[in-house]
Amino acid sequence: MELKEMVMEQLRTVYDPELGINVVDLGLIYDLRVDDGVVSIVMTLTTPGCPLHDSIVGGVKRALAHMEGVKDVDVQITWNPPWTPERMSEAALRQLGHI
Amino acid sequence: MFPSTQQTYETNIRLPFSFILFGVVAFIASEAMLLFSGTSLVQGAFRIPSVWAAMHLAVLGWALMVAMGAMYQLVPVAFLTPIWNETLGFVQFFITALGIFLLSISFLWKMEFVFFAGLLLMLGFVLFFIQMAMTLKKQPAKNIMTLFVSTALFCLLLTVSLGIALSFHFFSNSKIADHVFMLKTHLLLGIAGWFTLLIIGFSYKMVPMFSLAHGFSMTLARYVYTFYVSGLAVTFFSFFTNSSALFASGTGLLLLGFALFSYHIVTILRKRVKKKLDRPFLFALFAIAIALCLHGFAFLFAIIGNTAGFGVIIYGYLFGWIILSIVGYLYKIVPFLWWTHRYSQKIGKENVPTLKQMINEKWTVFACGLFFISFVGVILALVVSSLPLFYAAQGGMVIFSVLFAGAIISVLRK
Repeated sequence: MELKEMVMEQLRTVYDPELGINVVDLGLIYDLRVDDGVVSIVMTLTTPGCPLHDSIVGGVKRALAHMEGVKDVDVQITWNPPWTPERMSEAALRQLGHI
Repeated sequence: MFPSTQQTYETNIRLPFSFILFGVVAFIASEAMLLFSGTSLVQGAFRIPSVWAAMHLAVLGWALMVAMGAMYQLVPVAFLTPIWNETLGFVQFFITALGIFLLSISFLWKMEFVFFAGLLLMLGFVLFFIQMAMTLKKQPAKNIMTLFVSTALFCLLLTVSLGIALSFHFFSNSKIADHVFMLKTHLLLGIAGWFTLLIIGFSYKMVPMFSLAHGFSMTLARYVYTFYVSGLAVTFFSFFTNSSALFASGTGLLLLGFALFSYHIVTILRKRVKKKLDRPFLFALFAIAIALCLHGFAFLFAIIGNTAGFGVIIYGYLFGWIILSIVGYLYKIVPFLWWTHRYSQKIGKENVPTLKQMINEKWTVFACGLFFISFVGVILALVVSSLPLFYAAQGGMVIFSVLFAGAIISVLRK
């Protein structure tokens, strides 16, 4: 498995504690690049005023910090384009009773 | 070390918790005091020192302190700006807490001292007002919530000023203005101006957040604000002119504003992704339905000229709307605060509980069921002047306040 795929798998261990759904299934990860062990993530949150802002972003960094092959992690938060429910996986939508 | 790309908006947990824990203790004390004021209350005697003491402890010690604590937590996250000065927040807490304690004692033992306790309270509120004004000033982009919260803070300042003026009447035995006019305005701006505008403002943040609603329009919020604030202004002028027609118009505008708000919340909830809503959040939504009914009754009573019924409406408004909203939201806010303190740095490293696992939802359902039954019981007891019913229902309210404190303590043990 490539490091990029392993990083994406690892991100599935970071949960939004309010919804109980991981950041990948929530569709919060917009872009993920791995360049010579440096992981660059562009992600969003479900709302700009999310009270769990610092917790989730910190969780993403901590989840990847000790992975083999990862030298550094850069997480950028963006609100453009804003998050929409369409970005959620089928499993996440099912968990919320949406489908 | 990984570089931080975020600005932190989290407040020192001790600050909101100081307010919330004081509020929980004040709530138990106020409910117990009301229990012992039953004989007067069922006879419609609301304006007696022991009831003033209990109601100010409930409204200021519980509802206002909790609202302030929640604001120290919610303003930074909802408005994306950190608290201006946390140290000032602690100073403000001690001054306000002491002021409320002394005010309640003064009501019970020495009415003349209410004025001095009120001045101390005023200092606490002015510090809070400065803190919030400076914090909101730093907000990068103002929105409709800013308008609701700013107007609520302005109403709070007017309410406290009127309270000081009322207490000056007792202190000096001289009158600044008509006592009844000032008392009515104090009540109007305190409960409908400060609390309702504040709850409406934050509901626009919390309802979409807790229901994961997206793609809804916020256009209606402008009309809610316009009608509700116009209602406050017209009702104020009705007190000033002693006009029953203006009073009916004012309560009508308040009803229209609140009905629009209720409808707006329904439209937001229709756009939610989270189909099964958390129970505590449902209680906060239920409080909106109660408040809508009470606004309807207020309008009806204003039209038929039944002013005697307003004592019960004010009680219902305080407990069924303001206190139930605060209880519902606190069941969500306290687990969040404690979770952030205990588990925020562990997320991504180890398994951490979800916010829902921080509180026993079944107990919250039981407790809020007891609250609602007790609330209806007290209203009925006041309407039919039944002392046994009052004792039973208010006893239920005391038990609820203890259960609520227990639920908060159980979160802090996780």
